[in-house]
Amino acid sequence: MKRWFLPYLMLSPFLILVVMFYVIPAFITVMLAFTDMNYAMEWRFAGLVNFEKIFTDPFLPVIVWNTCKYVGGTLFFNVVFGFVLALLSTYYIQHEKSGIFFRALWMLPRISPPVVYVLLFLWFFAPGQYGLLNALSAIFLGVEPQNWLSEYAMLIVILANGFVGASFGMIIFSSAIRAIPQDIFRAAKVDGATEFAITKEIILPLMKWPVMFVSVWQLLSLLTSFEYILLLTGGGPFLDTEVWSLYSYHRAFVGFEFGYGAALALVMVFTAFFLTALMLKLFDFNRMIKSSRID
Amino acid sequence: MLKKKNFVFLLVMVFSLAILVACGDQTTTVAPEEQAKEIITIKAQTAGAETRRVDNLVAAAEKLNKELVAEGKNIVVEVETSIFDGGWADYYRQFKLAFRAQKEPDIYAVGHPNIGWLASGGYILPLCQLKEAAAYQDIFPVLWEAVTWNDQIWGAPLDLEVRPVFFRVDVLQKLGWSEAEIKNLPEKVRAGAFTVEDMTQLGKEAQAAGLVEWGILHRPTDGPEFHMMAKNFGAQLYDPAQDKLIFDKPAILKTLQYLHGLTQNEKVTPEAITTMEWKQVHQMMIDGQALFWYGGIWNVFNYVAQGMPFDEVMDKFDFMLVPAAEKGGNPITLSHPFVYTVSAQTEHPELVTRLLELVAAPEFQAANVETGHLPITKSGIKHERVQADPFLSTVTYMIEYTTFQPNHPDFVSYGGAFYKAIQAVQLGRKTPAEALDAMEAQIKSDIGDNIIIKEG
Repeated sequence: MKRWFLPYLMLSPFLILVVMFYVIPAFITVMLAFTDMNYAMEWRFAGLVNFEKIFTDPFLPVIVWNTCKYVGGTLFFNVVFGFVLALLSTYYIQHEKSGIFFRALWMLPRISPPVVYVLLFLWFFAPGQYGLLNALSAIFLGVEPQNWLSEYAMLIVILANGFVGASFGMIIFSSAIRAIPQDIFRAAKVDGATEFAITKEIILPLMKWPVMFVSVWQLLSLLTSFEYILLLTGGGPFLDTEVWSLYSYHRAFVGFEFGYGAALALVMVFTAFFLTALMLKLFDFNRMIKSSRID
Repeated sequence: MLKKKNFVFLLVMVFSLAILVACGDQTTTVAPEEQAKEIITIKAQTAGAETRRVDNLVAAAEKLNKELVAEGKNIVVEVETSIFDGGWADYYRQFKLAFRAQKEPDIYAVGHPNIGWLASGGYILPLCQLKEAAAYQDIFPVLWEAVTWNDQIWGAPLDLEVRPVFFRVDVLQKLGWSEAEIKNLPEKVRAGAFTVEDMTQLGKEAQAAGLVEWGILHRPTDGPEFHMMAKNFGAQLYDPAQDKLIFDKPAILKTLQYLHGLTQNEKVTPEAITTMEWKQVHQMMIDGQALFWYGGIWNVFNYVAQGMPFDEVMDKFDFMLVPAAEKGGNPITLSHPFVYTVSAQTEHPELVTRLLELVAAPEFQAANVETGHLPITKSGIKHERVQADPFLSTVTYMIEYTTFQPNHPDFVSYGGAFYKAIQAVQLGRKTPAEALDAMEAQIKSDIGDNIIIKEG
């Protein structure tokens, strides 16, 4: 057996899996985007019809705007809230066991099955007197029941996703804060730095790499994930929480426009590439991966 | 002594062997007959709680097997049933994928509007012969409309429901209505003397009197009731001659104005009703928080499931047709019958057809009452089990007034656009005219030229 062949042989089980579950589906999606496949599930080449339809779709402006609000809002919440949680549980709570307990609490939304988690949200924000929030506000504030899910649908969607996503940032930022040598904090304290100054001048500048990682990772995941929105509002009321990925799903699997759904998904993939490149540029990724000039 | 013992032992052994051989002989003499019987498995699938839809097929198969024995055929039909647990869109999707993998059920029970895509997609067989079959001669003729597409019959109706308006008898009593007036309300509706506008005003009156929180409730999700309302305002949804859907703008505008009025002007319906959960809406009716409910006959069983005893449901509620849009007009209801469709890939079309004829027998039809559904045949309605049902026997007259949604593949897209317009007007995001324009833009984008736009 030739020597060059052995590594490929060892890798072949994984290569086969990757080809079957990543490469082939991606290829099929690209092919589908150029067909008018519908409920009959027949492959009929339709050229660029689906892409033309995307740009004449009357709901496109609303869906793009919703996607921006959802991705931007949730990303901001995930990074900022994740950082605050990490800072509180790692730096300000010096007692390690308390910090771990605190972080474990915030992991609960992530380990809960999405359906159960969303049911709790639905029950909490349910309109009418049966909703928990309405019942509590009637008891303590004496106010009339509110239609939370129709008035603040996007905000609730962002919160539901944010509480799950923040735990990811929290874990990454916690380990990054832990990795900062204690000597730096001690030196700062000896020099009379306040806690706020330590956070602003020491911790924050050292968070650039993890912030970039969490932002890019979460951006990609938020662009493509829609399960919490689907379970919580189904994209409604009206089109208030219909984001690009959910719209693609609805078109393909509810309206049975598989070709159009695939075209929408394909556009989203290129959008994700573009936004990732933009983020890396913003964070000056090339400079970050260069070896340190101080040795 | 020993010899005698050996002899007895030998005798017992020989005897036992003889019995075993005799038994063995018996089985081998029967075996060729048994083996000659060919077992044919027919797979049937449905979704939801109404498992009777496939259980009836199992019972009908017993009758079929007796017939096959009488005909001297060495065939035994076994029905293998499966109940899909999940959403409707998932149910349709799994059938499509199973069909492509040639693992689909032979008999697929599905709501009738799916016939459009099932037939035009080549998934199911035409069943025109059923119209001539003796078993279907006393079917309510209007039901053939529900299974017709492109001038052919594509399904066998299996059960029937109607969508009455439920009203709280106790609320009307508190409003000062006499027993006779309350009892007469369904008749008044039938005669066209009580309109949808009267219904709104009565709901408002009950709200003003502090008897209810809301006057009228309707379903919280997309569904046939909204098309029923559109039909009530004169909408024509389908042109069978051209096999095209119709976007009847004047009638849809009236419907949107009505639904907008319910939440935004008259405020008899909660603005956020389309964000509510089914159970929550049912609970509001159970608790007497609303006067009218655009319901379906099966909702009685939802109320029972949510804790209201059946007798109390019968005591607190009465049922009427959807009142006419104008005085003297015709009231309306809508049915969404479930139908058996037959896979285009089935290997046993003849046996499946015979099974579908047998399952239309009155005794199987009468079993529909178990889940609050009506029989599809007149003989089924006359069955003692249906006649003895205190609820269903009072709503059977509504079948005469029933209508259906069109069986067109693009109706899902049309319905989606209509529901978005409804949500927009009910939430006060758009005026009815603006919502109509948005609906037209979406329909043109989704369906293209395959829909007739009726301007006036």
